[in-house]
Amino acid sequence: MITFDVIGFLLSWFTFFSIYAILSMSLNLEVGYAGMANFGKVAFYGIGAYVSAYVSMSIFLSLAGLNYPLYSLEATMAMVKLASQNPMLNVSVFILTLILAFLIAGAIGYVIMYPTLRVGPAFFGITVLSFGELLRIFLRHYEPTGATYGLTGIPHPFAWIEDVFVKNLLFTSVTLIILILLFLYAQRLVNSPLGRTMLAIREDEIAALCMGKDVPKVKGKVLFIGSGMAGIAGCILAYYIGSINPNIFVPTVTFDVWAMMILGGIGNNKGAIVGAGIITLVDRATAAINFVFPGLIIDPNFIRWMIIGLIIILVLLFKPAGLIPQTYTWTPAWKIVKPLEEKAKRRREKLLSPFKKISKWFLMGG
Amino acid sequence: MAPILKVVNVTKYFGGVRALEDVSLDVEKRAMVGLIGPNGSGKTTLFNVITGFYPPDRGEVYFKGRRIDGLNPNEIFKLGLVRTFQNPRLFFNMSVWENMLVIPQDQKGESLLKAPFTRLWLNEEMEIAKKASSLLKDFGLKDFVINKVSDLSGAHIKLLESARGLMGKGEMFLLDEPAAGVAHTDAHKIFSFIRRLRDEYGLTFFIIEHRIEVLMDYVEYVYVLHNGRLLSQGTPEEVMRDPKVIHAYIGE
Repeated sequence: MITFDVIGFLLSWFTFFSIYAILSMSLNLEVGYAGMANFGKVAFYGIGAYVSAYVSMSIFLSLAGLNYPLYSLEATMAMVKLASQNPMLNVSVFILTLILAFLIAGAIGYVIMYPTLRVGPAFFGITVLSFGELLRIFLRHYEPTGATYGLTGIPHPFAWIEDVFVKNLLFTSVTLIILILLFLYAQRLVNSPLGRTMLAIREDEIAALCMGKDVPKVKGKVLFIGSGMAGIAGCILAYYIGSINPNIFVPTVTFDVWAMMILGGIGNNKGAIVGAGIITLVDRATAAINFVFPGLIIDPNFIRWMIIGLIIILVLLFKPAGLIPQTYTWTPAWKIVKPLEEKAKRRREKLLSPFKKISKWFLMGG
Repeated sequence: MAPILKVVNVTKYFGGVRALEDVSLDVEKRAMVGLIGPNGSGKTTLFNVITGFYPPDRGEVYFKGRRIDGLNPNEIFKLGLVRTFQNPRLFFNMSVWENMLVIPQDQKGESLLKAPFTRLWLNEEMEIAKKASSLLKDFGLKDFVINKVSDLSGAHIKLLESARGLMGKGEMFLLDEPAAGVAHTDAHKIFSFIRRLRDEYGLTFFIIEHRIEVLMDYVEYVYVLHNGRLLSQGTPEEVMRDPKVIHAYIGE
């Protein structure tokens, strides 16, 4: 029997968890806070992955003075050798592409706002959905990024470490740190006047416009941050699996992320992360079961989506607002109303005290 | 004194339907002016044209001497012209407190770069919070700060809508049926409250109302719209006696 590599499983789960948690958090900013039904999340994920792969491979090859096209077999072979030579270069290229993926995906997200302004909010989702599909079809036919074969040989930032376990551990911790930083940023963002304005736009766009909010501008800002975060997730994915092709970025990815967000709770960053954790765990576990118990009658890979569907139905039946529902936007302004709140509480207690006494009497008597 | 709001020969068509034709009216500063008319006479359309929802096909709108037709609704709000809706449009899944705080214009914390750093917008936020809490006290809503708006009663929602308008730099309010769906005594309460606001804050009100019997007790001047045209105007007594108005409302 093959021994099951628990730590390897955890590392792969944590990495996918971080990637999807970043995605669902960014989707939650757009859908849960600003009310933009983004069905094209995968486009920005893909942009981040392709930008990182393209830029990092170009840098490595041009520094080595090699002139192969990026998608050629020679380039892939050369990358294997080049990637383990200079630790400083690997890490700095990783950081550079993280920033680039954020900025480019974010900028494209911001620009996408303008055409969708004209079609109106109801059609925003359809427009970005088709944008994602068009991008994928474009990449399938665009030779400089390898068309259907994609790019292979993306230099792992820690390729210079010989021990595979240490290498993976390091990478997973880096991705978790990125996730934590982005979570802290997102938390601060939504608990600020900007978060409040985003919520107001989700609640009633026309009323927000009447109350003097520049709705398109705020939406553009949210799309910039949301798409940029998706770009970061794409960048991490590219380095983690080392090879990308257009078929990874199908619309299903977007709907997976939607499922995570709905499961965890719309309008709450913590919920988005919990949802991502649960679904990636099911995903990884069903993939791993085959290795532990080979020769099962039903391949768990095939019932994965049934399990996930069941979880979602159960959660929505018993907790319709998701596992961690939306709360207030906690800005410092709440400090002022605390005295008021306590006063109201005292009044409520005074009103309830006779009932409490009666119930106590019943309990004691019983 | 120049009127605060001046509408000059405004005409608006929806396809072949003439919603407004050559409507001209003035509203003086610190006045309470009513706008009445049978259903479908164009009252709400006029409000929509004034606040920038639809551009007029012809004619001009001036607010504080500045031409405002063609501006976006958010720009008009920034100038101090606030409107409310017939069906209150609040942010129903947010607390009363957040509904108040969200209103002020161009808050520092609305910038993407400044939002994560509380220190940069803390002072402004606390000022807004103080203003909001004193307004809520004035409006008798201070016990509901943590409640969601969807938990409030109809009258409280109407009050909150006006309180919210005051959070901005509102100088003039266009109220679309402030007393719709409210009991008779509450309607009087709302109108006397509006009058008090006018006196205390020096505001101007332009009010659409179907309950003429309530409205007439409070306003100083009334415009009557009928089929998109200005049918009559004058003090409440003059308008009530005008045979054209009686004809429009009751028929032969």
